[in-house]
Amino acid sequence: MHIPNGFVDPKISTGLAFAAAGALAYCLNKVKQAVTAPALQQALAGAGEKVTTITSKARKVLTQNGRQTIEKIGLMAGLIFAAQMFNFPIASGTSGHLIGGALAVIVLGPAAGTLAVALVVIIQSLFFADGGILILGGNIVNMAVIGGLLTYYIYVWLKKLTKSFVVSAALAAWCSVMLAATATSVEIGLSGTFALSAVLPAMLKTHAVIGVAEGFITVALLGILRNVKFYNNEEKI
Amino acid sequence: MKVYLKVILLIIVIAVSASFFASSHPDGLEWVAEKLGFIETAKESSSIMTDYTMPFIQHAGISTAVAGLAGVGLILGLLWGVKLFFTKLNPNHPARI
Repeated sequence: MHIPNGFVDPKISTGLAFAAAGALAYCLNKVKQAVTAPALQQALAGAGEKVTTITSKARKVLTQNGRQTIEKIGLMAGLIFAAQMFNFPIASGTSGHLIGGALAVIVLGPAAGTLAVALVVIIQSLFFADGGILILGGNIVNMAVIGGLLTYYIYVWLKKLTKSFVVSAALAAWCSVMLAATATSVEIGLSGTFALSAVLPAMLKTHAVIGVAEGFITVALLGILRNVKFYNNEEKI
Repeated sequence: MKVYLKVILLIIVIAVSASFFASSHPDGLEWVAEKLGFIETAKESSSIMTDYTMPFIQHAGISTAVAGLAGVGLILGLLWGVKLFFTKLNPNHPARI
């Protein structure tokens, strides 16, 4: 689903770049707040002074758990990058690959998971020419923000509804692909590259099948990650 | 740490096996673009490892595997760098004092 340069109008690409930047800034801020705490040493060093000056001067540093969070974001991004390389053939001459948005947010949480997918998309665009640089913002919005951040809330809602981890994860993964495909179609349609009325049904038809594979792969990888105790029920960021 | 090693092993297994069994068919979006006839509006872009191949390795599978592992290495290296920057390289961090 990586949009190449040329499919989307530069004006729309610019708008999407701003949207992506805003969403990533929000996620970065969320993660930063979760992984840092005021430096204890500094507060103790100034114990004789007024409490207000201590707290205002105390700088935030990475916590032990925060370090693990950053390592986990890296490993999830690496895993999704590798899994995205797996192109599986689908009927009538097309192929699909994982997006991994649902997987990332279920394992890491909405903000950290979105960052992991965004990192994958950025590396793919910069070093592998997979997805145009001009439309990098759009690709981040489609796959990381819609396929990740938004998908997390769909997953939470589905989990409440179905009360099943596996079913809600698989359905959320399918939804993430369909929503990303819809967003991609709308971006192409608005750019005047091709009529939305033709692109949207074609995209949804193909990705309904790819989404099923996304669901299966997401559940399979979640199972493996749970088995090796990488995925657990800790609080998600 | 053992958990991380297992995940890294999983990543390597996936990256290498994906390199040798990848389908050459176009992906969903490309296929739709071809079928509807707007694929020619795409501008070819190139980079160091275009199409997941290492330019100096001839064998297709090995080339993709090396490129894939390089990509994984880039991602892990970047995040480990961030972690180092905020811990070992940060003079205010309790772990350093």
